[in-house]
Amino acid sequence: MKNHPMKKLFAAGALSAFALLSTTAHAALEVFACHPEWASLAQELAGKRASVFSATTAMQDVHRIQARPSLIARARMADLVICTGADLEVGWMPMVRTQAGNPKIRAGQPGNLEIANHVPRIEVPVSVDRALGDMHPMGNPHVQWSPRAVALAADEVTKRLVQIDPAGRADYEARLADFRTRWTAATARWTQLAAPLKGVPVIQHHREHSYLLDFLGMPIIGSLEPKPGVEPTSSHLQSLLEQQAATPARMVVRSSARSAQASEWLSEKAHIPAVLLPSGPGGSPAAVDLFTMYDDAIQRLLAALKPH
Amino acid sequence: MFEKKIVVAAIAAAIATPGAAVAQTAGELDQIRAQLRGLKEDYEARIRALEDKLMAAETSATQAAADAAKAKSEATTAATAAAGAASTAAEATTTAQRAESAAQNAGQQKSQNAFNPAISLILNGTWGRYGNDPTNQISGFASSGLGEATPRGASLGESELYLTANIDPNFRGSLLAAFTPENTVEIEEAFIETLALGRGITAKGGRFFSGIGYGNSRHPHAWDFVDASLVQRAFLGRNYGDDGLQLRWVAPLPVFVELGGEIGRGREFAGSPSEFERNRNGKEAHALYAKVGGDVGVEHSYQVGVSHLRMRTPAGTGVTVLDFDDTTGLVNVFDGRQRVTGADFVWKWAPDGNPAYRNFKFVAEWFQRRLDGDMTFDTTNAGAGTLTDAARIRQSGWYAQAAYQFMPYWRVGARYDRLSHGTANLNANAANLALPAFDPTRTSLMVDYSPSEFSRMRVQYNRDRLLQDAAGATVDDNVLFFQYIMSLGAHGAHRF
Repeated sequence: MKNHPMKKLFAAGALSAFALLSTTAHAALEVFACHPEWASLAQELAGKRASVFSATTAMQDVHRIQARPSLIARARMADLVICTGADLEVGWMPMVRTQAGNPKIRAGQPGNLEIANHVPRIEVPVSVDRALGDMHPMGNPHVQWSPRAVALAADEVTKRLVQIDPAGRADYEARLADFRTRWTAATARWTQLAAPLKGVPVIQHHREHSYLLDFLGMPIIGSLEPKPGVEPTSSHLQSLLEQQAATPARMVVRSSARSAQASEWLSEKAHIPAVLLPSGPGGSPAAVDLFTMYDDAIQRLLAALKPH
Repeated sequence: MFEKKIVVAAIAAAIATPGAAVAQTAGELDQIRAQLRGLKEDYEARIRALEDKLMAAETSATQAAADAAKAKSEATTAATAAAGAASTAAEATTTAQRAESAAQNAGQQKSQNAFNPAISLILNGTWGRYGNDPTNQISGFASSGLGEATPRGASLGESELYLTANIDPNFRGSLLAAFTPENTVEIEEAFIETLALGRGITAKGGRFFSGIGYGNSRHPHAWDFVDASLVQRAFLGRNYGDDGLQLRWVAPLPVFVELGGEIGRGREFAGSPSEFERNRNGKEAHALYAKVGGDVGVEHSYQVGVSHLRMRTPAGTGVTVLDFDDTTGLVNVFDGRQRVTGADFVWKWAPDGNPAYRNFKFVAEWFQRRLDGDMTFDTTNAGAGTLTDAARIRQSGWYAQAAYQFMPYWRVGARYDRLSHGTANLNANAANLALPAFDPTRTSLMVDYSPSEFSRMRVQYNRDRLLQDAAGATVDDNVLFFQYIMSLGAHGAHRF
């Protein structure tokens, strides 16, 4: 091998090719989260190893998202898609998946995670008929409001991250352990903090915070929607008002994705506070991640409990 | 699970040896309390999950119900035990497994149906009121979507049956059959699609609506108006589709960029009602399209596209096209090449990106059609001699429409359609066929009410200026439609 310059060139070429390959290998994992709460969870658990995109915001009614071109573009590049499942995204995610041409995120792949399949669900309907409204045969899909479900979701997200990016195993496991510790502590703190809320009856707009109200021990005695997914009607609101005489609710809650109109009406007529709760991170100024979304929701409920 | 066992053992040890517990610091006790609380919550969640499963089991099968009832009582026992002492944990786990298997037994009865395709059925009906005969041609636009006009009076629209499922890890299949009011069944789409090619590539084969333009691939139930736009009717014949192959690619970019190409047998001549009996190897029609789309902030999203379609009439057969002004009743035949070029733009807005309460959608499309070939004049009177000469026709059209949902369930919409008569270079036939210097237009207003995602009722008014009489005067028409569109079964996902 006398041809030194050639050898050097080859070595340089090989080196740069290796450098290129290794940067590709270490490039951030692309995570496509259907909702900001799963984006927050993915960010907690993957840290700098992932670049996380949230398809929706907490101001949007997640049932009615459209298969926007931007979502198809993001899903095309995703290594992991985290959605709620339980038919919550049935109106748009199947189309995004079909259009994206990305086999990593198709059903049955580690890159396709539906949280609802891994956590216990409440309000599972005994019989299913569309005459009863927009039903979710698998039960209430708004599982981000169950601290237990979030803990289980964290385990599953980490499992998937390790499957997709085994090189980061140690990092992911350390992050999960750290998240678990903080989440357990936070759950204990919320339980303690929310003690005065136990037994306080509420009416909610859509069944969006059932898990939270269940966790806090707040009985749900009605929904502003006459049927799930059906906007409040004046006759239904009137019947809720009449119900107040016999079984009074102490407050009426709605999520950040809902119009204030109906809950304000009931609040005024029934003289009970109307409480806006974030539907996820970004749903209120203080709710910036999974932890603060619980903090803020509980603070808002506690504030509503205080006499005016 | 392993970790839990350690916690359980720790608690058991703490309970069993009070002396040791006393020696522990307050901090450790707090820790154990927290762990106990965690354990309790854990079991509460598990028991709730169990109860859910049991409920399903109870309704599914009597046998399963019996098992479930037994398991339920055991689960309740387990709950009390778990709260009190850790030793029952193992037993509870076994109970959980037993209950789970009971639920699975019940589930097995359904497993054969679990693979059934998702089925949805669209029911659609209209009532139309016209001043003129709706089967009239659009003046100056040969054979423009004849028979695709919504009929007069009450009529059943097409009832669409849609079946779709994954076939295996590699393919997905879909069938869309339309039952027409004339009691025939049309296979509108029947295709397979790849799932696992990767790199953003998807291949589709079979019969499908072409990806050209924006409105072309949408089925009537997804339209914002009762009827198709004039350009779609004149140049694409409502929905242009073919039997063939489609290949599309989504670029790995944060902005949506899609390129698509199609080849097909040329089953129909776009914009004409005639279907060809082709008896040839190879492809007769191809289409290319590109789409770019994205979001602007959280409230706005857009998509722009360009497309091109070209096809030939089968050699020597030609396609029947009526006289330009549809007043002579003559039949003329065109034989040659058709090229349709289009551009489309869609823009959507919703406050905070939440379309549930208010949203706005704007669509505009432009198409140009070029016909290059031979025109044969008056085949109805072949005995008197026909005249064939080269023909070169350029025509175009566009529409712009907007739909605004101003409150839940309610939308209003407006659309303006215009066709441009363009130029026709007919050589020797110029004396026989005069292209009227007339641009047909139509203005539509609609209101629709959708009490759920599955039902929609609509009223639409059209001001048509589509015809010119023999004297060259424009024939106006006022048209009124009532329509219902209902969908049953699986929740379909719609394109942007």
